[in-house]
Amino acid sequence: MATQTTAVVDRTVHAPRGRVFDVVKEWLTTVDHKKIGLMYIGYALIFLLIAGVEALMMRIQLAVPNNHFVSPQTFNQLFTMHGTTMVFFAGMPILFGFGNYLVPLMIGARDMAFPRLNAFSFWISAFGGFLLYYSYFGGSGMYGAGSAPDVGWFAYAPLTARVFSPGHSTDYWTLSILVSGVGSIGTALNIVATILCMRCPGMKMNRLPLLAWLYLVTSGLVFVTISPLTAAQIMLMLDRYLGAHFFDTQAGGSAVLWMHFFWIFGHPEVYILVLPAFGFASEIIPVFSRKAIFGYPAMVAATVGIGFISLTVWAHHMFTVGLGAPGNAFFTFSTMVISVPTGIKVFNWLATLWGGKIHFEVPMLFSLGFLFQFVVAGLTGIMLSVSPFDWQLGSSYFVVAHFHYVLVGAIVFMIFAAFYYWYPKMTGRMLDKKLGQWHFWLFLIGFHVTFDLMHIPGLLGMPRRIYTYEADRGWAGLNMAVSIGGAIQGIATLIFVYNLVHSYFKGKEAGADPWDAWTLEWSTASPPPAYNFAETPTVESRRPLWDLKHPNDPDSKYEG
Amino acid sequence: MHHDDATTTGQIQLPTPTVWPIVLALGVALLVTALVTSVYIGALGLVLILMGSVGWFRQVLPHEAHEPVPVETEEIRVETARRLLKAAPISDERRKILPIESFRISSGIKGGLAGGFAMTVPAGIFSVVKYHSFWYAVNLMAAGGFVSWAGASNQFLGEFHLRGLLAATAIHGMISILVGLLYVAMLHMFPKYPILSAGFVVPLIFTGLMHTAIGVVSPILNQRIEWFWFVASQIFFGLVCGFVVNLHDKVRTPQFQALPFAVRAGFEMGPGTGAPTDDAAGKKNEEENQA
Ligand code: HEM
Ligand SMILES: [Cu+2]
Repeated sequence: MATQTTAVVDRTVHAPRGRVFDVVKEWLTTVDHKKIGLMYIGYALIFLLIAGVEALMMRIQLAVPNNHFVSPQTFNQLFTMHGTTMVFFAGMPILFGFGNYLVPLMIGARDMAFPRLNAFSFWISAFGGFLLYYSYFGGSGMYGAGSAPDVGWFAYAPLTARVFSPGHSTDYWTLSILVSGVGSIGTALNIVATILCMRCPGMKMNRLPLLAWLYLVTSGLVFVTISPLTAAQIMLMLDRYLGAHFFDTQAGGSAVLWMHFFWIFGHPEVYILVLPAFGFASEIIPVFSRKAIFGYPAMVAATVGIGFISLTVWAHHMFTVGLGAPGNAFFTFSTMVISVPTGIKVFNWLATLWGGKIHFEVPMLFSLGFLFQFVVAGLTGIMLSVSPFDWQLGSSYFVVAHFHYVLVGAIVFMIFAAFYYWYPKMTGRMLDKKLGQWHFWLFLIGFHVTFDLMHIPGLLGMPRRIYTYEADRGWAGLNMAVSIGGAIQGIATLIFVYNLVHSYFKGKEAGADPWDAWTLEWSTASPPPAYNFAETPTVESRRPLWDLKHPNDPDSKYEG
Repeated sequence: MHHDDATTTGQIQLPTPTVWPIVLALGVALLVTALVTSVYIGALGLVLILMGSVGWFRQVLPHEAHEPVPVETEEIRVETARRLLKAAPISDERRKILPIESFRISSGIKGGLAGGFAMTVPAGIFSVVKYHSFWYAVNLMAAGGFVSWAGASNQFLGEFHLRGLLAATAIHGMISILVGLLYVAMLHMFPKYPILSAGFVVPLIFTGLMHTAIGVVSPILNQRIEWFWFVASQIFFGLVCGFVVNLHDKVRTPQFQALPFAVRAGFEMGPGTGAPTDDAAGKKNEEENQA
């Protein structure tokens, strides 16, 4: 056991508080990566709740046959806004928020490489989200004034052509994604530069915390994929307003071209979302197993492998288009190949658990849920990657169940785990454990009721994006159950939000290192001072705090 | 960037908060919004962009604006309530999981290729005996890649097709090399009975896998495959590939570096050689809760 002066208490003289204006000004003008990270997270949470409400409205509509809870037009807007919001304005910003907050702390830096760019990126992404929702007021669409986009989150041509989507609702979709894409690129650039250039002495690349590695690869994917997406959005605007015909099949354009553009972005995008979740798991699972991560080099290699392979699989979203035999064979094969590095990761997490002394704290509960659900989602993914199988089930509720298994069962679970794990660092207080357990179990039950059962109507032929259905199809009971599961998840989420607020004021004091963890962020105060570390830390292994805590048996003795 | 240490100066320089990034972001967003609202909004956006850019430039040129943040250090104890336990002594012959030597990757490639060649012998015999043509087996393999061959007749498959030869070589070569690499990775983990594991167990497992998967991977192969001959070829492959891999020298893994000098120099037995070992060199201690 050892003590070390690695951090300081924040005695910064703040502007006199109490006056709302000062506080607001402090947040609007900040260039501190921690404040920006928190704003990202807060902003994303709001959108998470909005999109969650949209989901519940859809589930009410589908709970019973022949329902008219919302109009068909509203239903189309609901699934479009739900998907777009979740991917672009909840998922990406929440992950960027954690990245912003954690990466500099974990690599022993004082801030991001470009603090002002960081602020700019956050704000422009935020304005993109506002723009999307302003469409409810400003987006005069097909059905009269004030209308949100209704073309689906992948906005296939020719539905987006002006004849089929008059008014401005589709433009709001295009522009908001275009604007927020600028912010994504900015933040990705910042993360890459920070990781490559701002590491503290001794933090070699092969000692980099896995979370930072995952963010490095994710950011690389952002570079490669936001560009075709942006290009496609601009082409769409040209089609709609300047008479170009990129996607206009009547005039020699190609609707399939849009699909390629969208999915060369869209598939890597799902990895952009899931890789940070892998990062959280790679930090949390070892700490609560009381063991070092198993197979660090293999984990890094698998991460990089996933990054590359995920760029080669996009057309598995287009099997139903009819790609021809070579296309089907290639994309089936590449999609199956991606399960190899993914499998390596799963086995390494399991091997980390194996023989460990497992502590079932709330972050660990969510991580275990993640592990199980991610494996199941991978299996249905492999099933769908077999093109003839996909011809049967593409565009059915089976697909919806598959990708929600990943997006909710893996990503949302890991986001919750990350909240329970790092909230003490961010606020200085622990989240309440009892409430956390209630949150976990309710959410787990709700999740499985909803998404396990959702596979079945898909197998029975229920198409996705359907407004309502006849009673004699045999889907009614299942849909009711799916909706009830959704409501349970909603309740669990409310408990979580209550916990966030409650614990901020009443939570147990956390101290610097409540989990007895090993990475650098736990060596400074909670919350960390503006400058993170009074003295720049120096590290000698992948677990610098282990070395400090066990000077007689440091990791540096074993790592090559 | 800022390597000044608080302990010496009592303060740290951090970038000054600034309003210009948000102004610029709002400007860009408004300019874009003008496309769906009105030019006045666009004009406002343009003004904000100009203001934001100028303001931002003046933040960083000629010198990046910093402000000192006072620092007062207080010791934070980095410590743990847990203590280390020696890994529980289960038996003297604890299973060692980390090999200190393994095969070279290149020997896997060679082994795979050798096995791949060897395998053509039983496959060829089968093809000639049953269908009176060596090309039958080749074309059957290739047919997985050509959807149009799905309904091909036996006669068609018995003829020579350059396409078939190329595709079969590619498919067969790829798989052989992959399996060879697998052998390199696995063989030293089961060092006791190399002939059994490489020659029989792995081929049988692989056959089981193929048996379930083949309907999906290659329906045409599924219709016509002869499992007896398939197993025979697999075993032939396994024996040859395992033999070739085993021929090659092993290389030392990082675990070897962790051994005490006496072991490395060959004076003493070390872990992985069956002898009882010193913990520090074998498995690292992990911590336990205070009992
Ligand atoms: C082993 C891993 C995976 C495989 C083999 C796989 C395979 C597939 C396939 C073949 C489809 C197309 C289904 C169709 O539209 O007919 C699909 C859809 C989808 N997958 Fe996965 N997937 C995997 C992992 C993931 C991950 C990690 C995510 C998210 C983080 C994800 C999210 C999605 C989404 C969002 C869709 C549907 C997109 C849409 O149509 O709106 N998948 N997946
Ligand atoms: Cu995909």
